[in-house]
Amino acid sequence: MSRKVACIGVGMTRFVRRAHESPGELAAQAVEMALRDAGMSIDEIDSVCLGTAPDAFDGVHMKGEHLIAGAGGSRKPYMRHFVGGGTGVFSPIHGWMHVASGRFDTCLVVCEEKMSPCNPHPAGAFVTIFDRVTEQPLKLTLIHIFALEMRRFMHVYGYNEKEIAQVSVNHKRNALGHPAAQIAQEITVDDVMNSPVLSWPVKRLDISPTSDAAVAIVLASERVARARKPAPVWIEGVGFRLDTAYWCSRDLAYPNYVAMAAQDAYKMAGVVDPARDIDVFEPYDPFDYKALHHMNGLLLDKTGMKVKDLLFKGAFERTGSHPMCPSGGALGVGNPISATGLMKIAELYFQLSGQAGERQIQKPLRRGVTQAWGDLMQVGTVVVMGSDGAAPNTKSLWNGLKAEDLPGTAIKSVDDVPNIPDSPDLRYAWDNGVGISTYLDGLRHGRIRGSFCTRTSRMLIPPRTFSEIGNLDPVSGTFDLADTGTVMTYTVSHVDWDSSPLPKGKVNIFAVIAIDGAGDHTGLVHLLRDVDPKDVKVGMRVKAVWKKEADRTGSILDICHFVPLKGRDTPATPRRIKAPEQTVLTAGQTPGRIPLTYRYTAGVAGSRFYKDLAAGKVTASVTGDGGLMVPPAIFDEETMSMLEPGKVKPLEGGSGFIRSWTAVHEDRSGHPLDAPAVIVQVEFPGVRGSVFGRLALRDGEAPSEGYPVELVKAKATSPDQVTFRLKA
Amino acid sequence: MGVSVLGIGVCGFTPTSTGLSYREMIAKAAKMAYSEAGITLDDIDGAVSCEEDLISGYSIADEYTPDQLGVVRKPVYTITGDFLHGLASAVMQIQTGQYDVLVVEAYSKASNILTKDEVLRFGYDPVYNRFGVSPHYLAGIEMRSFLEESGYTFADVAQVVVANRKAAVSNPLAPWGATYTLADVVESRPIATPVTELMIAKPADGAVVCVIGSDKAAASFGRKRIRIAGTGWGSGTSVLERRDHAVSLGTAIAAGMAYRDAGITKPTEQIDAFFVSDLYAHRQLMHLDALQLCGCCPATVNPNGGALGGGDLYEATGGARFYEAVCQVRGEAGACQVNAGRVLVHGWRGLPTDSCAVAILEAEGR
Repeated sequence: MSRKVACIGVGMTRFVRRAHESPGELAAQAVEMALRDAGMSIDEIDSVCLGTAPDAFDGVHMKGEHLIAGAGGSRKPYMRHFVGGGTGVFSPIHGWMHVASGRFDTCLVVCEEKMSPCNPHPAGAFVTIFDRVTEQPLKLTLIHIFALEMRRFMHVYGYNEKEIAQVSVNHKRNALGHPAAQIAQEITVDDVMNSPVLSWPVKRLDISPTSDAAVAIVLASERVARARKPAPVWIEGVGFRLDTAYWCSRDLAYPNYVAMAAQDAYKMAGVVDPARDIDVFEPYDPFDYKALHHMNGLLLDKTGMKVKDLLFKGAFERTGSHPMCPSGGALGVGNPISATGLMKIAELYFQLSGQAGERQIQKPLRRGVTQAWGDLMQVGTVVVMGSDGAAPNTKSLWNGLKAEDLPGTAIKSVDDVPNIPDSPDLRYAWDNGVGISTYLDGLRHGRIRGSFCTRTSRMLIPPRTFSEIGNLDPVSGTFDLADTGTVMTYTVSHVDWDSSPLPKGKVNIFAVIAIDGAGDHTGLVHLLRDVDPKDVKVGMRVKAVWKKEADRTGSILDICHFVPLKGRDTPATPRRIKAPEQTVLTAGQTPGRIPLTYRYTAGVAGSRFYKDLAAGKVTASVTGDGGLMVPPAIFDEETMSMLEPGKVKPLEGGSGFIRSWTAVHEDRSGHPLDAPAVIVQVEFPGVRGSVFGRLALRDGEAPSEGYPVELVKAKATSPDQVTFRLKA
Repeated sequence: MGVSVLGIGVCGFTPTSTGLSYREMIAKAAKMAYSEAGITLDDIDGAVSCEEDLISGYSIADEYTPDQLGVVRKPVYTITGDFLHGLASAVMQIQTGQYDVLVVEAYSKASNILTKDEVLRFGYDPVYNRFGVSPHYLAGIEMRSFLEESGYTFADVAQVVVANRKAAVSNPLAPWGATYTLADVVESRPIATPVTELMIAKPADGAVVCVIGSDKAAASFGRKRIRIAGTGWGSGTSVLERRDHAVSLGTAIAAGMAYRDAGITKPTEQIDAFFVSDLYAHRQLMHLDALQLCGCCPATVNPNGGALGGGDLYEATGGARFYEAVCQVRGEAGACQVNAGRVLVHGWRGLPTDSCAVAILEAEGR
């Protein structure tokens, strides 16, 4: 039997398009506030877990490691988890595991996302979420698959764009009462309809923004929670499910994975009828249709009738019978992916303990559910939270909080603050393996290939050597399939993979095509051409247009595109073939590259560091106990307390000495340097910390530990500009 | 609640694995593990994968984890940590009482990463620590601090390389077994002084899949079940400027937890063999200090050759050591076999981190 686990404190930064703070600074600001809200010190925290989505946003490999200090994880059991966009609601589930297992009494759960460093646009980070061989060459991005899913959802459940737009209107209005909100506003359905079409049916105001922010919560065992809070809010049930990565083989209209995760959570929480037993809903709403899509799953309603009825009755409004996203959701508060999910957990905490201020739902609340979603439209994470009827906490830190009370500094442009550019050279050569090599061999010969799983009687595209739905048993045969199929869903896109607009007048029509002979939900994604966008329909019959044989290379681009099928429509029957024998020589590789560049703000403390460095000096921050610390910081990771930015002390530039050093013989890519470069760690007497930099040596000089050094004025904002020289 | 290893499978470990996709490699390891555990896919309650985006080459790498494990639509999540971090998380998950059989997976396709040093460099703080030189620079800083503070010598570090590469010669799954002299190590190409080329583990490909279960599951499944007597994990600060580079605080925290779990007070006396991260040779000695294993018999440390002999498998590195440890406890380690009724496995996430995890395994009924 699991131990009871409660949320007893919340902290968050403002949600902004571009933050001055570094990722660690954002996390620290949220953590300090959560600890303050819980009335605890970092020493009372037994464990820390961190949720954050792709490394490509913040632009740091092993991002979880990078965030340890900011998340309060130094000197603690600390672990990072993730499930893509579902991370924010999975994070409290992982935290729940820490406490419910009996392993710890407290767990600090932190979610951070700084999307703004990613160039040319954070959307570009999504180009590498797709299968590297079968999909990435098509230059898809997240908005395309959202649009494909939205179109399918509309087709199956009979929604029109205006009906869906009402969700965006509601959520942005709800966010007007949220102190962290990035784009709270009063808009109309017409505003949504008239906003620029990005990838039809998705328009600008159907989508949540990209954001920088951090959120933290404190989870505690029953013993700790009852001692600390008059109204702890309990995690009553958790569920998380991950569907197949082969997203073109799935029903896109109904999120089975959300429904299964919800069932797990409901079973644990004792929820029998979610429409009756749950008082408030916070489904993930990165796009307006997604809230409805997810509500179908949360209400376990594959018919979609309940949700449609509730929407049309106005029941999802904050004053309605089934309030949905009283926070304002991702559409109104903002969408720093993982932090969004944890913001929704925070909203249930506020609502169920009477701390939501002007957003407080006025009917009695006993239980709420929140959910997040992500990856390749395949993960559902669900948490049911409940109060135990304690008196609402009307005098909390959060009741009446204003935006100006929250940390987090919005900047208009990265050029407004010291910043550091970087262009990592991230290249790969992927082993295709036998399955994908069989697929690519087929494409080279003008054939779409699949393999058959006898156990489930399903054709699998692309072919595999084993069936993931058939006990991992070997597939029973390889088949050449028809190159015709049926459009299951489509989008008319006006934007490229990096979110930049396509040339005026050009559109790309992407479609999920069920390949003939492979079943309704098994197919592939590709481009449609030679058709007026207005004439494209779900159910349309299409046929592949192949490159000339001499030009084919064994790539998904050997299919130029699909076109409407004209004339005789008699699909070819799948033809079993002798699978080409793949060897280490024929099962080739596919080149890969992550095509992103970054511009990092130096952060609040880093800006100070480089400003001082330009003057040839180092400034130390004064810590709470009066000690000195370098490099300067806005927080002390040992106490997780914020430091006064102005409370600093300049150090004598020539007072440093070498703590350690190394002569490096290779460049950043591993190629030999003409002459070794010396990197030194320099400490200053009586000061905690050190500074890393290059050591400029004059002829005949050699470094050694303890040798005094002095700073050289930096000419630019870059670690490579931090230079010392031996003191004469 | 007790948690046991019910079955384990591997694919690899080899310098390259051309001809197999990562999916095919993991599926082979999974089939081996499930067969050994005597389970079908229906018996599995969920899975934990251990991955990092830029090693897998995907953004949001967890998307691509369920299929090859046969856990589509089951509770699955990803830990961006060593296999041993994932194991510790899965143990906690079982201890909630809501799950009985879980799968832990990690893999490496290191041979597919063309710009390994660029990826590693991208792990450093861009504001303070990302220099235009080899990212191994921190190993040089660390090793020099460690030698100065600990009293170990350059030759002691070189001896780690000689011993581990030699032990790996007897390990059929280790790709980097070799017979070197101290001079070979000392005189190999300098990378970031005092670290030389042979003091750095070489990359390898492979996959590890392990099935673990509650006491209830252990009553029905498993071959030569092994008890997970303790787990622990911990991290030193991510601020390199304020980290003591002469010690591994992350290891000390992880060891403290695992020792408490397993009731270990005198590790050198109560534990028979030690699988300790040696991604850089000096780190093995630093980790041994933090594990309170000074003075333990050298033959009991990395008897299968460690990562210096078995390869750097990124997130699967601790998993490879874990597999070797399971084989040792079962008495199935062949020419590498040592007395191993209770063993310790340690993993470190590599530079620029001080994040570590520890697991203690023991034969059932010990």
